[in-house]
Amino acid sequence: MTALAWRILTDDKGRTGLALAGIFMAILLVFIQLGLFFAVPQGGMLLYDHMRFDLLLVSNQYEYQAQPGAFPASRLAAARSSPDVAQATPLYFGVVKWKSGVGDVWPDLFVISFDPGSDVLTPPSIINHRAALMRPDTILVDSATRPMFGPIEAGRVVDIDDRKETIAGQYVLGTGFMGLGVALFSEANFARLLPHRGLAMVNLGAIRLKPGVDPVRAAADLQKLTGPDTQLFSRAVLARRETSYWTTRTSVGLIFGSGLLISIVVGIMVVYQIVSTQVSRQLPQFATLKAIGYGDSALAGTVAVMSLLIAIAGFAPALAAAALLYDEIREKTLLPVTLSVSHIAEVFAAALVMAAISALLAVGGLRRADPADVF
Amino acid sequence: MAVAFPLAGRTRAHPVPLAWRTITANRWRLARSSAGIGFAVLLMLAQLGFENAFFNASLQVLRALDGDIFLQSVHKYQFATQDPLPISLLATARAVPGVASAAPLYADWYDLFWKSPRDGKSYLVRGFAFDPKTPVFTLPDVNAGSAQLQTPGAVLTDRRARRFLGMDQDARQSEINGVKVEIVGQFALGPDFVSDGTVMMSPATFASLMHGAAGNPPGIALGVIKLASGADPNTVLKALRKALPTDIAVMTKDRLIAFERAFQADVSSAGPIFAIGTIVGFVVGMLISYQITFTEVSDQLPQYATLKAIGYPTGYLMRVVLEQAALNAAAGWIPAWLLSLGLYRLIGYIALLPMRMSPGITFISLGLTLGMCLLSAVIAVGRVIRADPAAVF
Repeated sequence: MTALAWRILTDDKGRTGLALAGIFMAILLVFIQLGLFFAVPQGGMLLYDHMRFDLLLVSNQYEYQAQPGAFPASRLAAARSSPDVAQATPLYFGVVKWKSGVGDVWPDLFVISFDPGSDVLTPPSIINHRAALMRPDTILVDSATRPMFGPIEAGRVVDIDDRKETIAGQYVLGTGFMGLGVALFSEANFARLLPHRGLAMVNLGAIRLKPGVDPVRAAADLQKLTGPDTQLFSRAVLARRETSYWTTRTSVGLIFGSGLLISIVVGIMVVYQIVSTQVSRQLPQFATLKAIGYGDSALAGTVAVMSLLIAIAGFAPALAAAALLYDEIREKTLLPVTLSVSHIAEVFAAALVMAAISALLAVGGLRRADPADVF
Repeated sequence: MAVAFPLAGRTRAHPVPLAWRTITANRWRLARSSAGIGFAVLLMLAQLGFENAFFNASLQVLRALDGDIFLQSVHKYQFATQDPLPISLLATARAVPGVASAAPLYADWYDLFWKSPRDGKSYLVRGFAFDPKTPVFTLPDVNAGSAQLQTPGAVLTDRRARRFLGMDQDARQSEINGVKVEIVGQFALGPDFVSDGTVMMSPATFASLMHGAAGNPPGIALGVIKLASGADPNTVLKALRKALPTDIAVMTKDRLIAFERAFQADVSSAGPIFAIGTIVGFVVGMLISYQITFTEVSDQLPQYATLKAIGYPTGYLMRVVLEQAALNAAAGWIPAWLLSLGLYRLIGYIALLPMRMSPGITFISLGLTLGMCLLSAVIAVGRVIRADPAAVF
């Protein structure tokens, strides 16, 4: 069966080359759509992926990372009093005007404030700059901040709201969906910049548990201490919530989801087109095989193997092209499009499904292979 | 070849629709090729539709503004950003010759929390406020309901807002920032990529809902100016620029929309993302169509050779192949275009995106379809040129 499928495919190299090109494009498209589909929620997880915590304390008004609501700082103090808790670190968010943009533009800057003495944010470029953040009116700016903010150089003094702030350097984390530009402030600088906002209301509480404490049980116990206007998320729950927010609450899921679906259908069409042409071209040969006693299932198997061979052969170059294209997309869109093992497996499965369905469609033509017709 | 030309001449006078006959000879194959090309076209149409919808979603509120010239802060780089202006500017603008009216539009994207009648939770919404006596939108439902906005605490809600906001339900009241509001009417606008839903109200209600703005009237987001009849827009534009401080941007409606579009294109990368999908659709379509034309040509090779032998010139045969490709393109494009109308409606309904077929999308997709089919036919036609009568018989 395999040998026959191989013979048919290698006999007509031009046509098989065409089939490979077609399936290559279809699989590449599946890679792109799937990559974008998952990149969006991943963009939403960017900050959490670079934060150290076992449980996250948030307001009961929490929507998603950049719109988390706020809760009184006393709730975090209550959590800190639990014997399960090793550390409870507050993070504060604010949006301010960056009045040193290119031209007259005053872009909105998303500000994250934390205690520079803590290691709640994990990127090495932040850890290494923590001392600079302790200086008054000194900030770190995310390296992915958009060009409209002007040069992000260490030593540059910029106007933010009504204060002058010195850029101590850049850190590498990513702006995600927080805004066009993000900067880190120490708590003292934040309180100076936004005196009305202050530090009494906390946006995120990063809780680290003592070794050996079960996060699920601890979350239930802590909830009693922190009260009904707060909620506690383990990392797994948080990841699920953020993903579901981006895929169901926004049009992102639908746009890339339907793109994914259409690209799979297009892939099926391509493989089907090629395989069914082969079937009709080899119809006399198939009829002969039938006449000498091969069953329908053996011939159907040959068609299925042909489809699978095409899909598998198209997959490898598509994977290589996707790797290159992901880099390009990541650079252009600043979305964390990454080629993970699970994506590769999913796309491979999609390719196999495409091959199976198109084989199923093409086998229909095979039944018409009547030995009596051919001779 | 002496006979060829009279023959060819005769076919021109009474053309045998050879391409048509070849294509329709095998209906099963036609259905298959139509499906193959059609899905590639549908892919392109979906991507083009998404791109269009992406921009339409951000631009439709600006398009719905009822004004000729607009004033906003020169520091504003995107409509959905807070950079309020003092309302006193409008008095200055009104004094400029050629200005018939100058109305305020108040707007907020980040401070109004709407309590959803659906689940009782509060969500961030966009709020617009205008003087009910001088409406600034062309939306008929808004203007019909604007008289009722004079009641303090009265709001109009967006029935096309995302469903979790519960604005499509017939609740008569809700809360914004914990203050009771009366829902006196609805309009249809839809979400964009910043806001999930919109409420409209009077400036007094707006001021009462905004945190910390008590006593201090909020600034305006946009000055909406209408020209007196017969006034020259350029002259008024210049006069306004002269009369107003330099940190005020004075723009025509086209400029305001182009400014927003440029920003969205710059930061969103929607253009490249959807262009990739369109290009892939084109290449896939080309491969499918090559395959189709190639098979058709090879199957008809004896017939082509016969035609050649009886004197038809190669050019005629090439034309037949190209006509076939064009017919295949049409057979794929027409059902795909019709199907896309349904797809647009469905996605528009589910995702609340303004997915609309436009003449632009129609012509671009038709051009791309013809392009991919003809291009692949030109490559496939090499076979016909080499069709040697002697080899066939």
